[in-house]
Amino acid sequence: MIKLDRRLILNFDWTLFILVLIISGIGLLNIYSAGFSLTDFRQTPLYIKQFEWILIGLAGMAIAFFIDYRFLNRHAYIIYGISIVLLLVVFMAGYATRGSQRWIAVGGFTFQPSELVKLTIILALAKYFDRHQIGRSYHLTELFIPFTIVIIPFLFVLKQPDLGTALVFLILFLAMVFFVGLDWRSLLIAGAGGLILTPIGWYFLKDYQKERILTFFGPERDPLGSGYHIIQSMIAVGSGGVFGKGFLKGSQTQLKFLPEQQTDFVFSVFAEEWGFLGGVILVVLFFSLILWGLKIMIHSRDYPGALIAFGITMLIFWEVFINIGMVLGILPVVGIPLPFLSYGGSSMVILMTAIGVLLNISVRRFILQS
Amino acid sequence: MWKIGDRLGGYEPGQFKHRFRMLFIIVSVALSLLVMRLWYLQVIKGDELRQRSENNSVRLRKIKPMRGLIMDEGRRVLVDNQPSYDIVFIPNRTKDIRKVIEKIRALYTERSLTFSTLTSPPDRVKPFVPVLLERNVSMEKLAVVETHALELPGVATEVTPVRQYLNGEMTAQLIGFTGEVSPEDMERDATGKLSPGDIIGKLGIEKFLDGHLRGKNGAEQVEVNVAGKAVRSLGRIPAELGDNVVLTIHSTLQEAAWTAIGDRAGAVVALDPRNGAVLALVSSPSFDPNLFNGGISFDDWENLSSDIRHPMENRSISGQYPPGSTYKPVIAAAALEEGLITPETTFFCNGAFEMGDRTFRCWQSKGHGNVNLHRAIVESCDVYFYNLGKLLGVDRIAYYARAFGLGAPSGIDLTQEKGGLIPTKQWKLSRLREPWQMGETISLAIGQGFNLVTPIQLANVYATLANGGTLYRPRLIKQLESSDGHVVKRYGPEKLGVLPVRPQTIALINKALWGAVNERGGTGYILKRKEQDVAGKTGTAQVIGLPQDEKARKKKRITADLRDHALFVGFAPYGNPEIVVAVILEHAGHGGSAAAPVARKVIDTYFALKKMTPTHEQAQSAAEIRGIAKP
Repeated sequence: MIKLDRRLILNFDWTLFILVLIISGIGLLNIYSAGFSLTDFRQTPLYIKQFEWILIGLAGMAIAFFIDYRFLNRHAYIIYGISIVLLLVVFMAGYATRGSQRWIAVGGFTFQPSELVKLTIILALAKYFDRHQIGRSYHLTELFIPFTIVIIPFLFVLKQPDLGTALVFLILFLAMVFFVGLDWRSLLIAGAGGLILTPIGWYFLKDYQKERILTFFGPERDPLGSGYHIIQSMIAVGSGGVFGKGFLKGSQTQLKFLPEQQTDFVFSVFAEEWGFLGGVILVVLFFSLILWGLKIMIHSRDYPGALIAFGITMLIFWEVFINIGMVLGILPVVGIPLPFLSYGGSSMVILMTAIGVLLNISVRRFILQS
Repeated sequence: MWKIGDRLGGYEPGQFKHRFRMLFIIVSVALSLLVMRLWYLQVIKGDELRQRSENNSVRLRKIKPMRGLIMDEGRRVLVDNQPSYDIVFIPNRTKDIRKVIEKIRALYTERSLTFSTLTSPPDRVKPFVPVLLERNVSMEKLAVVETHALELPGVATEVTPVRQYLNGEMTAQLIGFTGEVSPEDMERDATGKLSPGDIIGKLGIEKFLDGHLRGKNGAEQVEVNVAGKAVRSLGRIPAELGDNVVLTIHSTLQEAAWTAIGDRAGAVVALDPRNGAVLALVSSPSFDPNLFNGGISFDDWENLSSDIRHPMENRSISGQYPPGSTYKPVIAAAALEEGLITPETTFFCNGAFEMGDRTFRCWQSKGHGNVNLHRAIVESCDVYFYNLGKLLGVDRIAYYARAFGLGAPSGIDLTQEKGGLIPTKQWKLSRLREPWQMGETISLAIGQGFNLVTPIQLANVYATLANGGTLYRPRLIKQLESSDGHVVKRYGPEKLGVLPVRPQTIALINKALWGAVNERGGTGYILKRKEQDVAGKTGTAQVIGLPQDEKARKKKRITADLRDHALFVGFAPYGNPEIVVAVILEHAGHGGSAAAPVARKVIDTYFALKKMTPTHEQAQSAAEIRGIAKP
């Protein structure tokens, strides 16, 4: 499957590649600032680690680029199965920090399999819908297997507990189903079912998760607890003004008013230091990236290619939207990283690999044409 | 290999164009929403929020909880808390730390105070990261700094509770110390309750009971000004105090043992054989745990961690020594239970025992003559036990040793406990890849060779003999109490097992142990009190295999770190034992002359204390006598 074809180079999708490099570069600068005032000099600085992750991510991207995506599609279920086994390993012998068991340790590195599952769910769903084309909208009963594909990792991840990632799985499922088409009656039934299940789901949430959602509707009700995140985040963003306070000059950031400032709340660091101007530029960059992903979807030479391109683009879109929305206080606080900007190895490597798959689909439309 | 139309189904490239239009709208609307919100926060509300961030920022400040107290059995406080007033510098507008220090120094000198800097100030300061200038300052200094706040931009005072270890070195390894949580600690923590800057237990009881002692962080929302100084409090969740701990330790006994050891290296363990409560747990040399209060200085840490005498090691639970002759009761119990000997069986000791081409010597070179079990223990005849070892074999010895709790950690309420070593044939084959030699069993029988025990294990062996055969888990914690005084958890005796040894066998051995102290010719004669109530066994453990030749042996003994370890384990009172004491002194020579006096000091102190204060048991039995007429 790995063929070094000249056409792979000639038709390489530079736009996508450079967009991702620019966004990751901005992310790296931002991590430098976010970690600037962290006192611990005994540890490797965060930006160095993040840089290493980007490099590993680029390697993952290269591998994903050279392996024909139809090979990935052919073995999608096996790849999905392996990722589920990894989740099982986390469940049995995972590595817990801060009260959540999400990681497995492999020779000094820790890896978060749930990030990998985001990608393998897309592959598995794409394969299923490709295999089961029916030429009309799907009925609810026909979605039993795709639903199972998603609900298994969903439950595992919910148990860790990691509400944010579980939510991403669900969103990916819904996006894919809407994409392949769901008939109106089924949609109504599913919608009604969802409304009924919501209060039951509420019952299963952990206290801190309930707290966050309640706080979203009224951050002032708990200004010392979870409301603090939102308030401080909004102060940081707002105080950036139009032009920002300048690199390394965000007082909210440097004074460490912001919790999780290098991970989930990394956007507030950026917005504080680069202002409205910087924020808009970043959003526009993401917008371009997403549109480019959709373009790749349209021009894909085959159905699975289109489905995979769609899934990956949606993954990026929803993560960007939910993360920034949360930082700006228009969505509840759930743990979803900002693609290419949040500090964290697993998310970076998996997203870079996903971009590799997009590049792959993009370039092969020229190869498959002949 | 690939043809268009091959498995493509009905797919036409570009068929999703209509989907694209809808998706474009969704994405555009969503991202515009974000931009609009950005506009609202940064442009419309920008100035207002900038004010909030720059002039009076709301900051969440952690309120550190007060750790619980640690008390001894009689509720005497061993560890207390004290507020420490620290002077810190928060670099912001002013970054020149040296200038600030000079200014403080000048202000101090005016009032003839001296600035005691901990270490040289860092060359590079990071904005907004507080730098500690002076720790635990006097009220005078505090007043100076507070009144000159305007001349000292960025300088602030902080109050933190700091541990006070009232008994210092005496209980250092037992109680341990605290320190700031490290990144590694954070990673290991699965409870999710730790956050950077928290103070946690790092050793001893402080570590073992950290979850109870620590308490819970509180939080305060404060407005801080540009200098990072709190202006007013907006809301507050108080910190929760940690639980208080009552130990089973008697500090008077602990002190007696600590004083008796002096500057020698070694350990003393005192147990209550009736329930496994640890009455004293001493390890020497020791260190001053107060050095760790609020962070140990680099020099102090270097001195401590590079000290070849390992003052931070708790020898009483992690020092592993050959038991020497104190092991003999275990061998005797094994041989009697296996029916290999009777109490009357005698062996002839001429001062040496031949095994193949090797000669094993008795410590008494002229020999003991015909000895039975009682005399063999009283006079600690090695040849008698060489014979038992030969009859038993290594694996049967191991079976009984394990039943006495040897070869595995005792389960005491401390981390870092070692398990010692009880060898078997299988162990040697898998570990050293060599078959077991019969000669090695002979050494085992007098507690030499591969055998290793910790002082706590050794004390527990004798506690098991003293109470008639029940193995208890040694316990350090009597109860946990909440800060307002009600009992959170009370700890009782925990039975680990019962010896596979008949009561008459135990009685026989105990009688011989009594003889070893109270009969003429006994090796522990030095411990004989006028009450004649102590039973016990001395031991002398070879550090290395010494030459069997007597002359070369004497010569070699001169070097201090090759000298034998001295041991004594005993219990009292003989009829109804209440205390077991195990003493190990490193390189101190003979057990009878070096270790036994330390044990004696502890036992004497115990009975002196008892005389002064009627114990709970006595009070109870007095009540019983009054209430119930006994037949």
